[in-house]
Amino acid sequence: MDNSEDLKGYRGTARNLLIAHKARVWGDVVVQTTQGEFTGIILPRSETADDQHVVLKLPNGYNIGLRVDTIHKIEEVGYKKAHYKIPEKTFPTNPLKANVTLLGTGGTIASRLDYRTGAVIPAFSPGELYGAVPELVDICNLNTIKLYGEFSENIGPTHWMGIAKAVAEHIEAGADGIVIGHGTDTMHHTAAALTFMIQDPPVPVVMVGSQRSSDRPSSDAALNLINACRTAGYSDIAEVLVCMFGPTSDQYDLLHRGTRVRKMHSSYRSTFRTIGERPMARVSPSEIVYIREDYHKRRRDDRSVKLFPYFDERVGIVYYYPNMKPNVIESMIDNGYKGIIIAGTGLGHVNKPLYPALKRACESGIHVYMTVQTLWGYVQMFVYDTGRDIMDLGVIPTDNMLPEVAYVKLGWVLGQTHDREEVKKLMLTPVSDEITEREPIDGYLVMQGGLPEMDYYFKSYKR
Amino acid sequence: MEANFDPTAYKMKSGLEVHHQIYTKKKLFCRCPAGLYSTHHDAEVLRHMRPTLSELGEYDGTALMEFKTKKNVIYLLDRQSVCTYEMDDTPPFPINQEAIDIAIEIALLLNCKIVGEVHIARKQYLDGSIPTGFQRTTIIGWDGWIPYKDRKVGIIQLALEEDACREVSDIQHTITYRTDRLSMPLIEVVTAPDMKTPQEVAEVGRVIGDLLRCTGKVRRGIGSVRQDVNVSIEGGCRVEIKGVPRIPLFPTLVYHEAFRQHQLLHIRDFLIGKLTSREHFKGDIFSLADQQDRFHHPLIKEAIHDRGAVLKGIALRGVKGLLNATTQPGLTFAHEISERIRVIACLDHLPNLIHTEDHSGLGLDLEDMKLVTNSMRLKPDDCGVLVWGSIEDTQTAAQEIIARVEEAFDGVPHETRQARRDGLTDFERILPGPDRMYPDTDSPPTALTVERIEIIREKLPPQPWVMQEQFVQEGISPHVAHELSTSPNRLLALKLMEDKGVSPKLIAWALTELQKSLKRKQVPIAQLNDQHWSKINDLVKNKRIYREGLPNLIAYLAHHPFDDPEDFLTAQNLLPLPPTVLAQTVAKISEQNVQVKLYKEENRPKVLMGLVMHELRGRASGEQIWLCVQKQSQKR
Ligand SMILES: [Zn+2]
Repeated sequence: MDNSEDLKGYRGTARNLLIAHKARVWGDVVVQTTQGEFTGIILPRSETADDQHVVLKLPNGYNIGLRVDTIHKIEEVGYKKAHYKIPEKTFPTNPLKANVTLLGTGGTIASRLDYRTGAVIPAFSPGELYGAVPELVDICNLNTIKLYGEFSENIGPTHWMGIAKAVAEHIEAGADGIVIGHGTDTMHHTAAALTFMIQDPPVPVVMVGSQRSSDRPSSDAALNLINACRTAGYSDIAEVLVCMFGPTSDQYDLLHRGTRVRKMHSSYRSTFRTIGERPMARVSPSEIVYIREDYHKRRRDDRSVKLFPYFDERVGIVYYYPNMKPNVIESMIDNGYKGIIIAGTGLGHVNKPLYPALKRACESGIHVYMTVQTLWGYVQMFVYDTGRDIMDLGVIPTDNMLPEVAYVKLGWVLGQTHDREEVKKLMLTPVSDEITEREPIDGYLVMQGGLPEMDYYFKSYKR
Repeated sequence: MEANFDPTAYKMKSGLEVHHQIYTKKKLFCRCPAGLYSTHHDAEVLRHMRPTLSELGEYDGTALMEFKTKKNVIYLLDRQSVCTYEMDDTPPFPINQEAIDIAIEIALLLNCKIVGEVHIARKQYLDGSIPTGFQRTTIIGWDGWIPYKDRKVGIIQLALEEDACREVSDIQHTITYRTDRLSMPLIEVVTAPDMKTPQEVAEVGRVIGDLLRCTGKVRRGIGSVRQDVNVSIEGGCRVEIKGVPRIPLFPTLVYHEAFRQHQLLHIRDFLIGKLTSREHFKGDIFSLADQQDRFHHPLIKEAIHDRGAVLKGIALRGVKGLLNATTQPGLTFAHEISERIRVIACLDHLPNLIHTEDHSGLGLDLEDMKLVTNSMRLKPDDCGVLVWGSIEDTQTAAQEIIARVEEAFDGVPHETRQARRDGLTDFERILPGPDRMYPDTDSPPTALTVERIEIIREKLPPQPWVMQEQFVQEGISPHVAHELSTSPNRLLALKLMEDKGVSPKLIAWALTELQKSLKRKQVPIAQLNDQHWSKINDLVKNKRIYREGLPNLIAYLAHHPFDDPEDFLTAQNLLPLPPTVLAQTVAKISEQNVQVKLYKEENRPKVLMGLVMHELRGRASGEQIWLCVQKQSQKR
């Protein structure tokens, strides 16, 4: 690892060359090579790239890699360090507008380029982001707090509890709504965790991110943020929500309940979908249209939040596959796991060879719950004998709780109690729709192309 | 004034950017089929574009300006030709290696040096022509040259990039694009500004076009080539004329742009003469909404009554004479302003302004003029402009008009322009700077190994100019040599000439003149492959047929490509005549025509020659016949 900013990302041969010529990253240089002379700025190099090239930004804006063995002289004639920074603006406050607190945790809604890895890193402060989206001025008074600067995949229980506490604190301090900027990969895990940890909030708690980072002209970040701030400041739904693109077109966002939402595509803008239910509302810069009516209403005259920031990390998900060996379960028992969520096939099944291991798990006090890997639909273990056998081992079905939500919930429950009955009661009593009594007739929608009605839909709607 | 304008007197410089699609099976960053175009679409997507920061932390000027226009961008998607990559809903796949190889080949042909490592950059375009908002582009070669006259024209770089969408319509705040062409691989050849006259620009354009086509790896047909021409004169600045489809248009466009820059420098001097500097210029914006019903002018009336427009006035203080100063033949500075607000304020219903210096009879009448003068308090040295449209758009327009006049104090603004059919140009947008370039973080750098480059170099086809030289050495006239060196038959010609059996001149003739004449007669020449030509070559080499017999033989083979040419020769009685038979034939024809009176008797052998040639249709060479005819004449 290099620790010098001046040689950022360069190692081995390339690094030695730069040192030998007293050249450094961001140096404005003239390079003599066997192929002629170059002028440009030396850029940092991705740490994962080879040590045979030096990256130069040419005056016309292009970057090229020069082979180290062709370079015979580098002369620095200037120095231009990049200050990749969005103008941070101080926004006027308006007493007539809602006060929204934006908590930054990282992710692509708050990101910029990193020349070391050549990738996008979470580094825009919420204030910078605010500067990049001037429309926010017309919506609310924004208070911004940077909690973390983490990629979505690095967010875990500690962050969930930290975010929950920060949300409670800012609600109690008088915010009319909370917006949480978050990477999208695990946004639905965090949304579920916050739903359990912050109960009965008086105002909306809105999670938002982007599928196209804000360093791109076609980013969804701005519209998502605008819609999230509007939702936090003015919507009537005092719950934990995810606010992300409804269609892939720049039109409106959907508000999803934190326990029923899931990221369903690795890259689409419209990746977040409510599973087994309808979304809560649709929000655009001009309006909020409610889809469901059974939500917790905003309360204007109280600031109380029920905060449950607990989590036992000794929980895991087992995604069942045909011919899974019992040692998968056994290694979890031996490694001290206290809770296992199984994502079973069909109505909630695993194969027979797993039974003894599951039995041993239950007998040794591990809480084992069954969900379905089909995502849509209920666990139903009474239909077949296998299901009944599995229940007899001590495995408890969780109705239509999504596997990730069940994982988060079990960790949260075990953070509070290990009493078998108590755990079961908490697990099966929905906090907010993680289990629903009925699946609406339009709760399952995975549409298929090639049908006349879909051709019509595609042609007629900007999805 | 225009007729006497000589751009070379103002040190005109011009360069070219040639964009040419290349032949690959798939697109550049996804696995969609390349070159599948249709006007059908299955779905639409709506997007907006927002400026972002450059790598060095600044907003690009163009980017900010285009954001002002707030366009709804609609993409039409055809299931066959696009996937979710083109929709910007899937990140790029690894760059098409076939395309990189072609780009390396072309870069080497342009005498470029090849980069050690390919870095993909994003070139920002906020006009919506690319759904990501940027074009993925990369430099493959740089610092090359091509020969032109007795000098070299520099090649600054060769880039490989993805093509943009095709615009379908652009009406007010909605622009619609078709996405089939999007992400097609193309190369961009950028020349140095080494051309000094409008004619040279066209000629260099042809040299580059010939070179690209000679690889056989560039696409042909409508839309496969687009050329940008940049022009500057001394004291002016680099202005890019975008997307010129045809080379014959270059000279006029270049000439007119040089003229426009010359005029804008005059206008700069005129403004400085009046006000000394742009700081002393003042423009005032007036809302004329409460008086708009009092105007007579039909354009204003129609806009207000039919389209609910509001009227805005802009007073330009102290610059009287500016608006009707000539910029291009038949156009005035008012056109520069009109174009700016058409693009930037979306006032695309033309004409989109009226001004106080329009004396064409289409301007304001006396009463309207009085109204304008009073409401905007115009002094004798002021001029005024009226615009109409929505409140927001007219406000943008008013600010833009003032900004354009301020720019006029500096002479020629950096901008890109679009070619019109009449050889003049319209404003397109402010010329983007290097700020709009930033690295594509979705794509890793790719090292180009020395082996890879050398393997391509080994198989490189000869450049047309090298071939032409070779052909000339073989005794072929420069004109035919040029035609042959750029024709699809170039490599075939080289191969046949290497065989040394047939005179290079004859080969050149057969592959150029003869082919063209047969094509004109609807002979399906394309049916003939290299093997056919080798066979024909052998027949000529072995004196089985002579030049004069070739048209018939080739026409026959083109119609019957699976037949043996020997059979045809026999069947058609085209086999060479033994010398005795030839002499008999000449004698016979000579006898038959002995009574014919000639104007000049010394021409008799020539006449006889023609008659015999016609009779024999190539069964003997012209040389043999001539010898025979001369002998015959001597006998008499
Ligand atoms: Zn594609």
